[in-house]
Amino acid sequence: MTQAEPLVSKPSVVAIRDLHKSFGALEVLKGISFEAREGEVVSLIGSSGSGKSTLLRCINMLEVPDQGSVSIDAEEIRLRGRPPHRQIADEHQIRRIRSELGMVFQSFNLWAHLSILDNVMEAPLVVQKRPRAEVEAEALAMLAKVGIAEKAHAYPNQLSGGQQQRAAIARALCINPRVMLFDEPTSALDPELEVEVLRVIKLLADEGRTMILVTHDMEFARSVSDRVIFLHQGLIEEEGTPDQVFGATRSARLKQFLNAASHT
Amino acid sequence: MSDDLAFWLGYLTNGKHLTWYASFQFTIFAALLGGSLAVIFGLIGATLKNSRYLPLRLIGSFYSSIVRGVPDVLFFLFFPLAFEQAVEWLVATQVCTPELIAAQSAAWPPCQAANWYLGTPEYLILASVSLGLVYGAFATNVIHGALRAVPRGQLEAARAYGMSASQVLWRVHIRQMWVYALPGLSNVWMLVVKATSLLSLLQIADIVLWADRLGAPNFLPTVGLVHDDWRWRYYLVLFVFYIIVTLLSERGFEALMRRAGRGILSERTN
Repeated sequence: MTQAEPLVSKPSVVAIRDLHKSFGALEVLKGISFEAREGEVVSLIGSSGSGKSTLLRCINMLEVPDQGSVSIDAEEIRLRGRPPHRQIADEHQIRRIRSELGMVFQSFNLWAHLSILDNVMEAPLVVQKRPRAEVEAEALAMLAKVGIAEKAHAYPNQLSGGQQQRAAIARALCINPRVMLFDEPTSALDPELEVEVLRVIKLLADEGRTMILVTHDMEFARSVSDRVIFLHQGLIEEEGTPDQVFGATRSARLKQFLNAASHT
Repeated sequence: MSDDLAFWLGYLTNGKHLTWYASFQFTIFAALLGGSLAVIFGLIGATLKNSRYLPLRLIGSFYSSIVRGVPDVLFFLFFPLAFEQAVEWLVATQVCTPELIAAQSAAWPPCQAANWYLGTPEYLILASVSLGLVYGAFATNVIHGALRAVPRGQLEAARAYGMSASQVLWRVHIRQMWVYALPGLSNVWMLVVKATSLLSLLQIADIVLWADRLGAPNFLPTVGLVHDDWRWRYYLVLFVFYIIVTLLSERGFEALMRRAGRGILSERTN
């Protein structure tokens, strides 16, 4: 898609080319290419099993693709070997790149044995090796930003799901990420807790952060995204601005999907 | 009445009894060192079992499955002796000249210069290592299972934030593993404690050996140890000692569990 948007002129932060991934006999991704540019919010939508979470997890190599490449800031992540034994070639490179990708998981995955503050400080201290005083000040600021400053010394299991997910967002923010990766961040939450997390994500989008978001929430995808990508059976079926994708849907499959989504 | 009291006070504080009391330190030392080594060998064994490399995995599995099946008494006799003779053999290859070997009349060691005299401290350390090796095989299984019980998402998050494999292992995996391992490790610890009653097999004058001697009829008439067969009374004291150790251990493990389970076991408070 080449749209006359100002974002097109910005450099691409995440570039994915011809990504393939199979789990056993099941081919989940069948050749996907897309880019996320500086400051862009890209939403990945599609039914369960369309490969959207797998695609997101390929960006930071939690899943290693069988074929194709992922580049962050024009630096390609080096892989070696042949599928199904393809693996990361350079541990130092992937650790450096991962330390700039803020991942937010569906099930939060806050480290259970650490307080909220220690969760937020962990990666900056032990991976980025930044000075503790600086990290602590920034961590507290991030917790204040997501609205849970008073929970800094609580453990994750003492928080509600919405608070845990906001803490997880603060953890991602504290590494000063180039890109935020959200893997269905509200799917494990009750509707009333969803709102508080969506509000924080919207705030980050408005700040001009580069974000890639996997979501089931069509309304939210429409309100927050610069670009929406609809995946169907491992391929990009339709791609465009929210108005194009939701307002002027061309693909019959997407129409069907949106129709089904609006009835749930 | 006061005569009786004076008698018992004198009887229970005579030199032989004081030696008996002092020998409790051997038992406690062997339990603590043996238990610590069991955990260390368990961590090593579990790491081997989890290794990416097949030969290391095989060593780990071999250790946990074979050594668990060896009777502890047998291993207790075998390991220190084998270790001692192996050292003597190694030393012999370096220091024994043909003349020295010719001058040696005993079958072992090859020459007198290669003889390694083991006193109580050496035997105590060898005994502790034996305990560690035998019960480390049990701890290997316990820790291996506990490592698998840590939720995958916890490790995935650590990897996603750029931690190295060893940081993931030590900062998240092993740190969270304890809460699942502690119930099993407390069993292993109790087995180690019970096995400390075997120390006398290794020439260590431990609490069991002394109870046996002091309780025997007319052990040392010259120093006033004249009585019938009182062994059961002395054994009863040992029972009480082991029961106290058990109770203290339970307290200790409860405290460890509270510490390791913080954030993992505590109730939601909101």
